[in-house]
Amino acid sequence: MSYATALEALGDPTRRAVFERLLAGPRAVGELARGLPVSRPAVSQHLRVLKGAGLVTDERQGTRRLYRIEPDGLAELRAYLDRFWDEALASFREAAEEEGGHHGRHG
Amino acid sequence: MADMAEMAEREAVAPVRRTVTVRCSKDHAFRVFTERMGSWWPLDQYSRAVDQGADVGITAVDVRVEGREGGAIVELTSDGAELSWGEVLAWEPPDRVVYAWKPHGRPTPPTELEVTFTAAGDGTRVDLEHRGWELLGDDGPRGREQYAQGWPIVLERFAGLAGSDAQA
Repeated sequence: MSYATALEALGDPTRRAVFERLLAGPRAVGELARGLPVSRPAVSQHLRVLKGAGLVTDERQGTRRLYRIEPDGLAELRAYLDRFWDEALASFREAAEEEGGHHGRHG
Repeated sequence: MADMAEMAEREAVAPVRRTVTVRCSKDHAFRVFTERMGSWWPLDQYSRAVDQGADVGITAVDVRVEGREGGAIVELTSDGAELSWGEVLAWEPPDRVVYAWKPHGRPTPPTELEVTFTAAGDGTRVDLEHRGWELLGDDGPRGREQYAQGWPIVLERFAGLAGSDAQA
């Protein structure tokens, strides 16, 4: 599982809507489907993709299956953002030091 | 389990804080960060052009930050378009700059980027804080609701940044 898989999974607006609903707490498929303009089987399919991307887990509770956010999946996204800024700032440092070392030069 | 998930959610939306020390004056560091953003930002990977126009051959050629409070942050593209990345909320050269940060075209509110410059020995310490998605407050369900609404901002930001990576 990687941030790219997670991002790809969240690229779909409906899937993102399903994911956002889970941020409010664990839900069953029926609850998730309510209020979304897609069928229950479609929601199940989106949940499978989210699960495959490591963003969602499920567990049986009595007669129904509850879906919830997978903490590790979020941590992966977070780590990605940290890495992104590390790389951008490293590039900034290079630019600043290169130009800073040649005070007379412009452009 | 629920507690773990909650902790991770909180952690996931806490501000991103990164620090880098550069061997140059504070004044120079500030100018490179702002006036010369196009010289260090990886435009070939992370831009609105990549986000939306890669398939038609349009590329981002520069990012310009208008140096004043309320100033525009704009991406210039190879076909001459100017695409907004947000605006300058605080302009205090050479100490601090705050941007309303939205390097994408979707109808979500911007996140916030604050950068401070501090003299450190013969160099400059640059502290960056990227925030605005930590909407899960202590005010119960309402905070949760705001938090859930805040997430798309993060995710779209990710998607915008990841560009072709995310589409792979």
